Amino acid sequence: MLLYILKRVLAGVVVLFLITVFTYTVFFVLSPDPAYMICGKTCTPDRIADIHEKLGLDKPFWEQIWVFLSGLFVGRDYGEGVNALHCAAPCLGYSFQTSQSVFEMIVQRLPVSATLAVGAAVLWLFAGIGGGLIGAVKKGTWWDRGIMVVALSGISLPNYFVALALQYLLVVKLKWLPFPTAVPFADDPLLWFQSYIMPWFVLAFMYAAMYTRLVRSNVIDTLGQGFIRTARAKGLDTNVVMGKHALRPALTPALTLFGMDFAALLGGALITETVFGLNGVGKLTADSITQNDQPVIMAVTLLAAALVVVANIVVDLLYSVLDPRVRVKAQ
Amino acid sequence: MKKRNVVLGLGLAAALALTGCSSGGDSASDGGSSGEAVKGGTLHVLATTDFSHLDPAQGWDGGVNNFYRLIYRQLTMFAGGDSENPTEIVPDLATDLGTPNEDNTVWTFTLKDDIFFQDGTPITSEDVRFGVERSLDPDIAVGSPYAKILLDGADEYEGVYKDGHLDSIETPDDKTIVFHLNQSYADFGSAVAQPVYTPFPAEGDVTTTSIDKQPISSGPYVVSEYKPGSSIVLERNEYWEPDSDEVRKAYPDKFVWTLGLDNSTIDERMIANQGDDKNAISGIILASSLSRIQEPSIQERTLEGLKGCTTYLALNTTKEPLNDLKVRQAISYAIDKKSVQTATGGPALTDIANTMLPPTVKGHQDFDLYPSEGGEGDPEKAKELLEEAGYADGFELSLDMRAVPVTQAQAESIQESLAKANIDVKLNVVDTAKYWQIIGTPSQQTDAAIAGWCPDWPTGATFLPPLFEGSQIFDQGNSNIAQFDNEEVNKRMDEIRAMTDVEEANKAWGELDKQILESAPAVPLTWEKAVTVTGSNIANAHLHEGYSGGIDYAVVGLKSVDE
Repeated sequence: MLLYILKRVLAGVVVLFLITVFTYTVFFVLSPDPAYMICGKTCTPDRIADIHEKLGLDKPFWEQIWVFLSGLFVGRDYGEGVNALHCAAPCLGYSFQTSQSVFEMIVQRLPVSATLAVGAAVLWLFAGIGGGLIGAVKKGTWWDRGIMVVALSGISLPNYFVALALQYLLVVKLKWLPFPTAVPFADDPLLWFQSYIMPWFVLAFMYAAMYTRLVRSNVIDTLGQGFIRTARAKGLDTNVVMGKHALRPALTPALTLFGMDFAALLGGALITETVFGLNGVGKLTADSITQNDQPVIMAVTLLAAALVVVANIVVDLLYSVLDPRVRVKAQ
Repeated sequence: MKKRNVVLGLGLAAALALTGCSSGGDSASDGGSSGEAVKGGTLHVLATTDFSHLDPAQGWDGGVNNFYRLIYRQLTMFAGGDSENPTEIVPDLATDLGTPNEDNTVWTFTLKDDIFFQDGTPITSEDVRFGVERSLDPDIAVGSPYAKILLDGADEYEGVYKDGHLDSIETPDDKTIVFHLNQSYADFGSAVAQPVYTPFPAEGDVTTTSIDKQPISSGPYVVSEYKPGSSIVLERNEYWEPDSDEVRKAYPDKFVWTLGLDNSTIDERMIANQGDDKNAISGIILASSLSRIQEPSIQERTLEGLKGCTTYLALNTTKEPLNDLKVRQAISYAIDKKSVQTATGGPALTDIANTMLPPTVKGHQDFDLYPSEGGEGDPEKAKELLEEAGYADGFELSLDMRAVPVTQAQAESIQESLAKANIDVKLNVVDTAKYWQIIGTPSQQTDAAIAGWCPDWPTGATFLPPLFEGSQIFDQGNSNIAQFDNEEVNKRMDEIRAMTDVEEANKAWGELDKQILESAPAVPLTWEKAVTVTGSNIANAHLHEGYSGGIDYAVVGLKSVDE
């Protein structure tokens, strides 16, 4: 088992390394020169050369990658002499636009994205699993059809449309809610809840729809299996049959999906955060792309990739807990 | 983010009153947002983007310069948005606008009494010198260039941390500071209003990076909380002496910026005018929101005016056949500016430009060298000129443009009107992030480009040379996109810069505008307007001509404060 975990972690590290090199290469080859963004109106060729030197962009490509990678583990130095700036590990560099430490920028914004992800996940798991179960058990009834229609609209309506429509209806028209602000829970619990409820709903609506369909088809599939008939024939209580025997195998594919979805959300919900003006990692990503802020884009890409890789490993380990067949393979 | 990004459409865009009359919204009745303000309360600002830098040696665009008015002071400054003439330079930390020697190469300023940093330490001439010397460090010098360009020896100087003091700044005593320039500069009194002339404690532990994180205030407010990308809170600076400051009214007790909001959400909030948003101001509304602010109740709290920038078509004078004057004049005649105006959002959002200098610039002269009926272009006249130049069958022209909807629309309308004169325009769509890099690199730009310019302060001196002076053509980071290098114009620029009378110089720049356009290196297209909606409890809101930042933060306040 330990060897299995080690293998998985090692594979994850390799994937992250490749993603880092790939992302850096894309920027190196395709990206506009950041020196222009930095020196703006008062550019001269000298000034551009100075900026290149200061940011280490005058070095050959492999050296740049090496400096970036080693910066992650041992930190790196910018400039030299009296103004030398040491960026401690894990060093993700400084924003080209604002000169802030990218690591700090992300740490500052993670709580918002985490709040969004956790709240939305609770909602969509509850709605998705519940809806899927009801749909499966009441297959073909109006219950089932109603749930499926809602799920279909959740999948087909674009995220930004739902967000804008909801905000217009609840905030502007009905005035039930204020315009969202990313206020910490401790400062004002009521405003916190009022601010996050809409984005939670928007995200949950999208994901719950997928989960409902997935759970429904899996449960229907499982209910048709032989071991369920056996369980019923043994005279087990319907609830036990459903809960213990039907739901558990039906949920494993949903778990895989959940690990990925949740990790991706932690890495920022671009559209939802932008529409509601919540400054999480997603908004940071959107902003850094528009401003071509390379170090920040690098960092959020790495963060998102790392989250997905970790989620994958965690899900695989949980699998072996849930499903005895996997455990055997792992050993 | 520098000024040119205002043209890129980032940041709070400029807004300013038309010269000679106050801007549309300014003349609103007492019910409007320019009524009497009271002291106190919290004023909110809703913004899409964060400020580039809190360090005035690094930040330099309309929005952030306007913000600096609240926390930093310089030797001189622009008058208030509520004054007769907002772009007038008035004394701030200094007692007057400086005393030059005979040829304007040495300038002496005397500091006022009762000027303090936020910890109560008096501001001395040493502190002013330190602030300037610090800003010249190449590691942070990304802000205004008006210390580096003008001070003697500054181009070789590496900043106070590496090289110690700069010899060309002298401080004979605590109240006196003397600047030695490398050229005669009559308008130096305006230059020292630039953010790089902000003082910082010479005896403190200010480093290259510390101010960006924790500003040290000399103005009426201090930064009490800053969450990058999310919010900034300013509270009163108890050591600021109102009597030492003729411009800043500092009405609110507190300013709160909410950053990183979606532009459409801001418009929605300003129109809805609920709760704290009644006490809010913001930037320019989206063109799509225009139709929704026509109600009288919203019009009453709407301000509008010119941004003070010019959008123009630069013609690369080094390329065939654009090196032929007649061809460039033909293009100037052929362009249907009316349709370009429509493409930019119509008369509500933009005026047609016939001169390079906008009306907001001092010394602006009104003329139209290439007139046409209703500004709709004169293809016949253009064809005549082309025939004379030997291009009776027209020619092909490649036009560089950014991949943004408004530029796309402008480029298409240019394409259409030039087609009528047999000029076949090929649109060269360039990714927004790469655009300035490409058109600023002569080896990469094509025949023509749509560009824009905002002056550093409203004079021809910070407008025409960067765009049309021969010595300003660089291999990289070039702002003279037309690559216009005309001996007479170059000579005239030197002459104007040598003038000792600022008024006379401003007038001369206005005349030079005409002289340049006779050679048609560029076609002025539009002067865009700023339209902004304020909350219903906002008072003394005035668009300021000196800032691309819209409402003057230094004088805006609330109508009433609930206590």
